[in-house]
Amino acid sequence: MKSISSKLFVKELQLAQIVLTPLFLLATLMVFIPNYPLLVGAFMVCLGIFYSFQNTREQQDIIYSVLLPVAKRDIVSAKYRFVCFYEIIAFVLFGIWTVIRMTLMSAVRPYAEGSLLPPSPLFLAFVLFLFLCFNVLFVGGFFRTAWALGKPLIFFSIAALFTIVSAETLPHLPGCGFLKNPAGERLGLQFSVLFLVFVFYVGGTLLSWKKSVDRFERIDL
Amino acid sequence: MSEIILEVKNLCKDYENFRLQDISFQMARGRIMGLVGRNGAGKTTTMKAMLNMISRSSGEVRYFGMDIREHEREIKQRIGYAGSQKGWYQRKRIGDIARITLGFYEKSDPQAFEKYLGLFSIDPKKRVLELSEGMKVKFSIALALSHHAELLILDEPTSGLDPVSREELLDLFRWLRDEGVSILFSTHITSDLDKCADDITYIAKGQLLASAPMDRYLAECREKGLGSTLEEIMISCEKEGNFREKHLF
Repeated sequence: MKSISSKLFVKELQLAQIVLTPLFLLATLMVFIPNYPLLVGAFMVCLGIFYSFQNTREQQDIIYSVLLPVAKRDIVSAKYRFVCFYEIIAFVLFGIWTVIRMTLMSAVRPYAEGSLLPPSPLFLAFVLFLFLCFNVLFVGGFFRTAWALGKPLIFFSIAALFTIVSAETLPHLPGCGFLKNPAGERLGLQFSVLFLVFVFYVGGTLLSWKKSVDRFERIDL
Repeated sequence: MSEIILEVKNLCKDYENFRLQDISFQMARGRIMGLVGRNGAGKTTTMKAMLNMISRSSGEVRYFGMDIREHEREIKQRIGYAGSQKGWYQRKRIGDIARITLGFYEKSDPQAFEKYLGLFSIDPKKRVLELSEGMKVKFSIALALSHHAELLILDEPTSGLDPVSREELLDLFRWLRDEGVSILFSTHITSDLDKCADDITYIAKGQLLASAPMDRYLAECREKGLGSTLEEIMISCEKEGNFREKHLF
């Protein structure tokens, strides 16, 4: 027998989600565009998830869910599970494309001559950081009202812009030139940063979920 | 007195421009109760607070002897709700919504759902947006009955319906009552209550004016010279403004 959490997750996928969310996973392929700020792909993945939240509001999904025999916190948990589900898929895809770019394609001309941040463990750390911003600023912001989407999206977009600019500036800073190597350099350091950001992603998302549960208990629908 | 299945005690909700004050009433099993009042009187706020959709400032709501805050999941297994809103998931098919919804209920009965769809002439392959307002209410009721809800809470189910559909819905309420289902429905259409309500709870400007069996309420209002039908009583009370003094049930 399925748990309430699994049933709500199925409800998210079959009723609340719109097709743009999985479709926007294709944006992970932007990793293969030469000389392009690759984190835009991660931003697009978040935008895909945003469209399902928009559908959530338009189709009164929250009201429908509240009337089901579930606790309010279950509804918040299901939304976070849905978001993390797509973020993890996107992260795995980004990981696969990164390995391909760093190994099989590192010497390919347009990639070898690029001046922007190439796919690397550090790039993946930035992807996770962008997803964390989405979970805290957008999803957490949404549960202030379970209705308003505009402000949370704007806050997330501003954070995303700063993240993308920071990621693209970093390789040009003194002592950070090694980050431009398409085959990867000082990988130990890069993987350490990736691990650290992963810990932040998990911790930050859990904190955001807890805050959202508290907020959602108090708001009037 | 039959078993009390719903008890609302001193329910209060404060908004900036509106206050729901000390709403208290009880509902027994197998009864139809009309929650009546003008537009904006506080009927929907009362229902939302009862369903834990809004936080209440104070007061208590108990179903089947259990507090909604502490036993939300168990209580919602046993009740059903339908509102007058445009409906959920407009572009999804009835059958798909029902399959997912019924999956949440321990006593879900897909065969009963098919039976009710047949009874209400609703095609499960239709999308929600293809249903008329009356059909949407019937669909919500079919869903609620298919998990054997013991209490239906309906927020203005008859508003926006043509007279024939309203009559059909009221027939359905009477049939459900005979089957042992309790119904609490809000309305400002007093003729609906005349036709099927056993009890009435009257709210005006966020305050409870009366909660009593319908026949007793009508008799006492007649004695006080407030009118002989619900419509007359409502008009006389709401017009005069000092309604509170005239209503003491």
